[in-house]
Amino acid sequence: MALMSRGGRLRTGATVVAAVAAAAGMAAGGTAVAARTPHSTHFAKTGSVTVALDETFPGFNVLTSTDNNYDLAQVINALWPSTFITTNKLTVVPNTQLLESVKQVSKNPQTIVYNLNPKAVWSDGVPINATDFIYNWHAQSGSSKWKDKGGKPYDDASTSGYNQIASVTGSNGGHTVTVKFKTPFADWKSLFSPIVPAHIAQKVGWNTGFNNWRNVISGAWYEISKYKQNQFLVLKRNPKYYSTPANIPTINFSWVSTDDSEPTGLQSGELDVIAPASVSQSLVLQANRVKNTDHAVIPGLEFEHFDFNEANPYLAKVQVRQAIAYGTDRAQMIADTVGSMLKGTKPLGNRMLMPNQPGYVNNGKAYANPNPNKAKALLESLGWKMVGGYFEPNYGPEAGQPLTFTISSTTGNPIRQETEQLFQAQMAQIGIKINIQNYDASTLFGTNLPTGQYDITEFAWVQTAFVSGNESIYCSYTLSQLCGANWVHYANATVTKLVIAGASAVNPQAEINDYNRADAILWKDMVTLPLYQKPQYYAWTNKLGGILPNASSSGITWNINDWYLK
Amino acid sequence: MLSYLLRRLAASVVILLLSSMMVFLMVAKSGDPLATLRLNPHIPKAVIAARSAQLHLNDPLPKRYWIWISNAIHGNFGLTIGNQPVAPQLWSHMVVTLEMVLIATAIAIVLAITIGVLSAIRQGRTFDTGAAFTNYLFISIPVFVLGLVLKEFVAIPINSAIGHTVLYTIGQQSPNLSGGFFSRFGNYAGHAVLPILTLILVVYPSWSIYQRSSMLEALDSDYVRLARAKGLRPSRVLIRHTLRNALIPVTTVIALDFAAILGGAILVEQVFSWQGMGTWFLGGITNLDVNTVQAYLLVTAFFIVLFNFIADILYGVLDPRIRYG
Repeated sequence: MALMSRGGRLRTGATVVAAVAAAAGMAAGGTAVAARTPHSTHFAKTGSVTVALDETFPGFNVLTSTDNNYDLAQVINALWPSTFITTNKLTVVPNTQLLESVKQVSKNPQTIVYNLNPKAVWSDGVPINATDFIYNWHAQSGSSKWKDKGGKPYDDASTSGYNQIASVTGSNGGHTVTVKFKTPFADWKSLFSPIVPAHIAQKVGWNTGFNNWRNVISGAWYEISKYKQNQFLVLKRNPKYYSTPANIPTINFSWVSTDDSEPTGLQSGELDVIAPASVSQSLVLQANRVKNTDHAVIPGLEFEHFDFNEANPYLAKVQVRQAIAYGTDRAQMIADTVGSMLKGTKPLGNRMLMPNQPGYVNNGKAYANPNPNKAKALLESLGWKMVGGYFEPNYGPEAGQPLTFTISSTTGNPIRQETEQLFQAQMAQIGIKINIQNYDASTLFGTNLPTGQYDITEFAWVQTAFVSGNESIYCSYTLSQLCGANWVHYANATVTKLVIAGASAVNPQAEINDYNRADAILWKDMVTLPLYQKPQYYAWTNKLGGILPNASSSGITWNINDWYLK
Repeated sequence: MLSYLLRRLAASVVILLLSSMMVFLMVAKSGDPLATLRLNPHIPKAVIAARSAQLHLNDPLPKRYWIWISNAIHGNFGLTIGNQPVAPQLWSHMVVTLEMVLIATAIAIVLAITIGVLSAIRQGRTFDTGAAFTNYLFISIPVFVLGLVLKEFVAIPINSAIGHTVLYTIGQQSPNLSGGFFSRFGNYAGHAVLPILTLILVVYPSWSIYQRSSMLEALDSDYVRLARAKGLRPSRVLIRHTLRNALIPVTTVIALDFAAILGGAILVEQVFSWQGMGTWFLGGITNLDVNTVQAYLLVTAFFIVLFNFIADILYGVLDPRIRYG
């Protein structure tokens, strides 16, 4: 599970899942593929579309720690095949153009059988088969048994799931791939998405071989035709594509330095699709004014939250954390910040799943409305007295002084800064003094949070469709190897058991149930306070059809093959 | 003159070394470029250790600096944190920036001198007043605001009126460019007009003001009065005796302003999404990429030193007393 950053946010969950054919109808249970047409009725012989990108990447192997970023995933969606896709409904479905069927044939040991489309080939004519699966497993296993070209260790963005595989074998001429796990892995659908071409990677190297775009052959709808780093990338239809070809012959990606420039680019006709990383009210207003465009604001798989550092002697008390939660008017924060952009945004009731994901349960009903009186009562229950408008602890370094915490976030984010000021004012009403001290993202995430140098912090976690990505955040911080992202110093054996069991469940519903039970305990212990889902904004010229914004890390290009020119 | 230039050169090298040390320390101490990777519990520790070793992050700072400077002298600026050699990136971004800066500077010099001279010889008249107003207007507008205004109120209306894009607001060329030389040239020019115009409008006003005051001083000098009294043609008096002397202070200003032009170029590149040195440098700062920042600094400092040398040489050309003194 990779932490993929975009615009200073931290992403949890599975490694980038590249988008593939949106053909529905085949469940993971192994249903046969529906009949395919040679090409769709929207197939165009000429024409192009230009998509804005805002993040740069050094190379094209999105599965390395060096290149793992959101915008590269948008490109790779069109180039490398995946076994499963995350749809705009946030459901995970098999890629029916690559797979004839896929089935979990055994629970113990967990065994998955992939039957590949026998026509599936890379753009150089080499078949896509078991060799690719075996190589992708080796490269991402985290095992020192296998090395990259030149004997170097593989540079992986994530080894999750791959490090639980016991074997990958091919049969039926390599068109049937059998994956056996040592220990069960609930999110097995996140694996082999995307698939790196083994015969090329073995020759040029996994780590840096794909820094040269000419090595990036295609196994999907498009292939690279022209590339100038950080300037533009031109994709043309892959003539060797083995299934329904993409509708639009040419896709251009154009790099834009600042998100604020994207609406102007749309207006001047230089861009056709924009999906800015950071969304502000002014950007939305500007882009909405552009004529002949369609727009969408959707709740993303990304949520803002407050983290309470339990290494602080006062925040270690559950009553203090609960008092802060009862004193926080999240609805007001939403109304004053993102509410105008995305109507209907509500305080979030779950850390593991977002309201637009299957399985979401509102576990935070107790904190749905602020209750300052209850907050004060909780602080009084500790024997603390209010003096001069602020509670004074009766122990520790601040004994006899106003109860004071510092909230920290990333600099240069007006919405977060406004939220902090509202928080400061709301806490003053319940007798807690709040100081604001922000840091640049590398200092906050690189130093302050991992080393526990903070009291309260605000940032965003970016989820994927795979819930087990939350395991490392909420399992006990004492398990430093597994729970490296637990920066709040929270330890609860039951929560740890639930998130580990959930990640190993062979039944997806069991996994969701375990994570929801863990979340309910986290609400009771008020470990973190989820605020709201962040909105994602998309705009595109109305000469384009088939665009379905996708809140997952698959992004807007998840169904790029289905886009068409009107 | 030669010994003067050599002394300047020696001083420049020392300044260059000291500034590179300071910047290295500041960037290297400001954070961990692999912070995000270290936070990800799923990335094998061996991967992070290999990246750290490759970037010399575990070495003491003096050793890191020594490795960098000893390689830089041989043209090897090391690797970016994205594991790519710095040097090819540096050259490709430098070409983009130089294209913008040199064209903008050349046009701005001509514009500044022309307006400055005309304002001086028409002192107090409508042209002078209009030029002064325009100069102070452009001086008072921040470069990024000017860029945005040109995009919004020049490019968009013109493109809308024509019915297709002729003035581009993003990048140096369209992605899928095809066709003959003239259509490609038109596309390059359409992308270059607004960024170059922005830079010109930012740099020419102060030079124009200097040129005007310098011309006024020269026009009021004894040697110009003598030249007029001797009955020389007005154009000869203006160009040979007045302008030539009035160019000396402006030359200094232009040379010294080169750092400011590069600073302006950083913002212009950002506004128009040009992948030049400025955008590259900002990326280096954001990613705490010491090698990228150092390479930028070294090249920028080199050009500043170069322009100061050019100014020193031009003094000699414009004023024989310096050449033979």
